Amino acid sequence: MTMPDDVDLDRVWTNVAAEVWRREPGRLERTAVKLLKSPGLARALLTTPSLLFPWLVATAVVLVVGVLAQAGAGQPLVWLIAPGVAAVGIAYAYGPGVDPAWELSCSCAVSDRMVLLTRAVAVFAVNAVFGLAASAIPLGTKAQADTAQITFAWLLPMAAICALALAVAVAARSAIAGAGAGVAAWIILVLASSVAGQTGTPGATQHVLTPAITDTGFYLPYLAIAACCAAVVSYATRPQRGIK
Amino acid sequence: MNIELSDLTRKFGRNTAVAGVTLEAGPGVFGLLGPNGAGKTSLLRMLATILPPSSGSLRLLDNDPTRPTARREIRRRLGYLPQNLGYYPSFTVVEFVEYFALLKEIPPARVPKAVATAVERTDLGPKAKAKLRTLSGGMLRRVGIAQAIVNDPELLLLDEPTAGLDPEQRVAFRALMRDLGQTATVIVSTHLVEDVGAACSEVALMSEGKVVFRGTPSELTARGESHGVGDAPLERGYSAVLQAARA
Repeated sequence: MTMPDDVDLDRVWTNVAAEVWRREPGRLERTAVKLLKSPGLARALLTTPSLLFPWLVATAVVLVVGVLAQAGAGQPLVWLIAPGVAAVGIAYAYGPGVDPAWELSCSCAVSDRMVLLTRAVAVFAVNAVFGLAASAIPLGTKAQADTAQITFAWLLPMAAICALALAVAVAARSAIAGAGAGVAAWIILVLASSVAGQTGTPGATQHVLTPAITDTGFYLPYLAIAACCAAVVSYATRPQRGIK
Repeated sequence: MNIELSDLTRKFGRNTAVAGVTLEAGPGVFGLLGPNGAGKTSLLRMLATILPPSSGSLRLLDNDPTRPTARREIRRRLGYLPQNLGYYPSFTVVEFVEYFALLKEIPPARVPKAVATAVERTDLGPKAKAKLRTLSGGMLRRVGIAQAIVNDPELLLLDEPTAGLDPEQRVAFRALMRDLGQTATVIVSTHLVEDVGAACSEVALMSEGKVVFRGTPSELTARGESHGVGDAPLERGYSAVLQAARA
């Protein structure tokens, strides 16, 4: 078989290579593309967990330990620990020196701020999945009826703490500062609310550490904190800032 | 003009990295020479819209990068290879280039062809499915170049692109730069004067944040005819201009 002289073999090969190397997005990525209206953001969102494998392992370990502790002592440690873990995850998921391709990402059309937000969503989503899975474990107990509610309830403090960690990390340009601020704020909040809880209801020991999660009076302040911190992040990552 | 800079300055605290640079450039390969710390990388980062200027004006591809919408438009048409390429070790070559193709907002239907073209142009076809962690420094540099050209940019910014490439690869890369420079503005920051002599139609030499020479490589060579230090004529021109600037 002879080939015509005017065939551009390079072009033919490139078309073949494009087909061979084509990556078909999974169902999750296709859904994310539809929701986010941006293939780039969807890819950034779904790529994050694979980039942060050590963080994922740490999250899983902490939650499993929390579940075991909960099963043994009746103390919902999972929900106490998860916001701090998520805060650390968010703080370490962004910034020069943390993301190896940060500088490249900053020169792309999809804004680095949007990539940051999608990564935050990834952290929340993974924690929510783990939290829900943990909630399903104590079957047949009285606590079971409340677990789903509590699981969703900790998403609120988690949102507030993560937003705080993110705001500090971005403003201070330091992941360590962000992580420290998030974890410290959560510890202070839990301890302060437990002290207040003990004062208010003497002898209540079953949920001595949980008012920060279970008290619905905290929910509005959590939302307010999250909103304020989101505003700080928005300001600190405004395009004029650049990187040094 | 694809690049128009006027009195562009960038300061970091008390240090002035770029001091009042005025420059214009259209299609072609433009070399940015200078010793370490001359301000080349800071200038390139400003052109890449990563670093905002402290003062002065900057227009890229007929857009004002201080406006968010215009900046996004510039970034769609921009290719950038940083001096230190950060990469995700677990990605394959194709995955990495595709990731940045998506972040550059290439329409999804065009991404596979764009990725294949960029990978082939950088001669990475045999390593297309290799994890980045398994590649040599020279290969990684080519991956960086591939992601920079995946959107067929009108403005291509390359910071030390030939660092780590072997002589054969450097020759191939210079040919690629000349090819890209037919239609795009290619700015190459380097301290390797032979790259400039072989690939650039125009050159600017920076020292202490300022442009101290601008002209063709042959004009730079002419500056070193009577004095200057170096083994090659272009090197002598480079050192003669730098000596004069420092004096």
